Amino acid sequence: MRQILSALCFFLGTTALHAQTVTVDTARGPVEVESGPQRVVTLDLGVLDTIKVIGGDVVGVPNGVKPDYLSEYAGTPYTEVGTFFEPDIETIAALDPDLIIVAGRSQAKYDELSGLAPTIDLTTDTTDFVGSIHRNTETIGAIYGREEVARTALKELDAKVTAMHDMAAEAGTALTILTTGGRMSTHGAKGRFSVLYGDFGFEPAIAEVDSGNHGQPISNEFIRSTDPDWIFVIDRDAAIGRDGQPAAQLLDNPLVNDTKAAKAGHIVYLDPIDWYVVGASITPVENSVATISGALAK
Amino acid sequence: MAVWTDMGKPRGGFAVCGRPVLAVAVLALLALASLLVGSSGIGLRALLDDPRSVELLWVSRMPRTIALILAGTASAITGLIMQRLVQNRFVEPSTMGTVDSACLGLLLGVIFIPDASPLARMALAALFSWLGTLLFLLILRTMPRRSALMPPLLGIAYGGVIGALSYLIAWQTGLIQALAAWTTADFSVVLAGRYELLYLAAAATALAWFGADRFTLAGLGDDVARSVGLNPRMVLALGVSIVAITAGSIVVTVGFIPFLGLIVPNLVSRRVGDNLRNALPMVAWLGASVTLVCDLLGRLVFYPYELPIGATMGVLGAAVFLFLLLRRDGT
Repeated sequence: MRQILSALCFFLGTTALHAQTVTVDTARGPVEVESGPQRVVTLDLGVLDTIKVIGGDVVGVPNGVKPDYLSEYAGTPYTEVGTFFEPDIETIAALDPDLIIVAGRSQAKYDELSGLAPTIDLTTDTTDFVGSIHRNTETIGAIYGREEVARTALKELDAKVTAMHDMAAEAGTALTILTTGGRMSTHGAKGRFSVLYGDFGFEPAIAEVDSGNHGQPISNEFIRSTDPDWIFVIDRDAAIGRDGQPAAQLLDNPLVNDTKAAKAGHIVYLDPIDWYVVGASITPVENSVATISGALAK
Repeated sequence: MAVWTDMGKPRGGFAVCGRPVLAVAVLALLALASLLVGSSGIGLRALLDDPRSVELLWVSRMPRTIALILAGTASAITGLIMQRLVQNRFVEPSTMGTVDSACLGLLLGVIFIPDASPLARMALAALFSWLGTLLFLLILRTMPRRSALMPPLLGIAYGGVIGALSYLIAWQTGLIQALAAWTTADFSVVLAGRYELLYLAAAATALAWFGADRFTLAGLGDDVARSVGLNPRMVLALGVSIVAITAGSIVVTVGFIPFLGLIVPNLVSRRVGDNLRNALPMVAWLGASVTLVCDLLGRLVFYPYELPIGATMGVLGAAVFLFLLLRRDGT
């Protein structure tokens, strides 16, 4: 009888634990998920970084290049579950996940993955970058029951971003350039790299750019006539592990060298993996703040 | 001539073909426009107002204009050569796997020898386009020629297979956007020191100019070629080499310009018939002019940003191509 009772207690206990849910904010509005997931799969490196920051566990991670701070996720015991865009459905099903987190590039697969396991979408809003990091970190903190860690990490991030903002406000205008295959494009204050203007506080060198995801193609002449105080470069080809035609080589020409930014040594090459691959999460943003603050302080 | 009286728009600019002075004047005017339009301002005043304008002219505007003329001429003439060699009006480097092969070569170069010089990368692209074109011609020889549309259709399918292979490799190595950059012509990053490979395309084109008659003869068949004392294989190899070097250097420097090699020779042959000696200067002139016009449009549509010439030429070229297809009087 005692055995039966204790078995019953155990059963009730575990079901009670399982039934515990939290309501969290996602890109598709508030959703209710079970807390304390054991087998989490994510297709996004920003989400993976956030999980690491708050001290959670995952079983499935995206394929491909990973930054140093996420290098421990390359190889066992973690399973690669597909590219950012294309989840490997069979591998994910075999992992029997209790939560799948998509974001950004993998958001289009939300419906497909929802059929396998509870799925949430943590796609970031490029016009509210730091705000998105707050939402995602709080959401992931709540799911893993580590709200306190999330709060502390966000407080530190905010302090760094505020300090950065104070410095940047005095620094003048900035232009962001994305390079790929020997071509250049720019993104405006509301585009993919809006964090430089909105959150970090640089003044956009150009007014609104109707840019789309890969920006508006520009020429060297455009860079010279815009004449920004700062140029931030993201070398897309280096982001995916290629540096055959480095951005520095592309930009080292008489027209770009004639800008205020080049003359003052204010061309900053941002870490392409942080900016292009990982995106919105605490570690890459803190890295960027350190890089840019360092350049500003010179 | 009756065919031409109701041709509408294209005829206006086209009528100048027969008048060399007018043709040169139009080209000079377009080149001047190309020198005067840029994101730092449009017109002579913008150039004069800018104290650093001389540098701008020499470093950016002049190289871009020269690159446009060289690439436009070379694309149009290589289109003409391929049409004569294959004896088909609808083939050009992009409808016979030449361009796709060049892109594949470039892609493999970026992956395996990332630090290669532009010249080495061009050589690799040219080698691949040479092999790719030759393979296509070999496949074509085994096919029965029932319809004039067969070679280009086969070529498009063949190019599609090579393109798919490139896409797969690019997808797995994360180079999709770089591949897209090479297949979309864009002159926005042309600067002094970054387009000179196009002179190689120009040299190859000049060679083609002198060998033009032989390509026509070789295209008429091995027997015809031999009967006038030509070695058909040599001529074929020469033609393919010229096309490969041209395609390689254009893809490496500015990316592939769509439709140009297709529409320009066809428009010219409608006007002057198939006499190659008459056609060559006009093909060169029209190729350069159309390229200049499309790039100017691309610079002005979203001023001060740029629309790649691949996009403007794609729209214009597709329209003209459809027109040519529909007006083909049963030939």
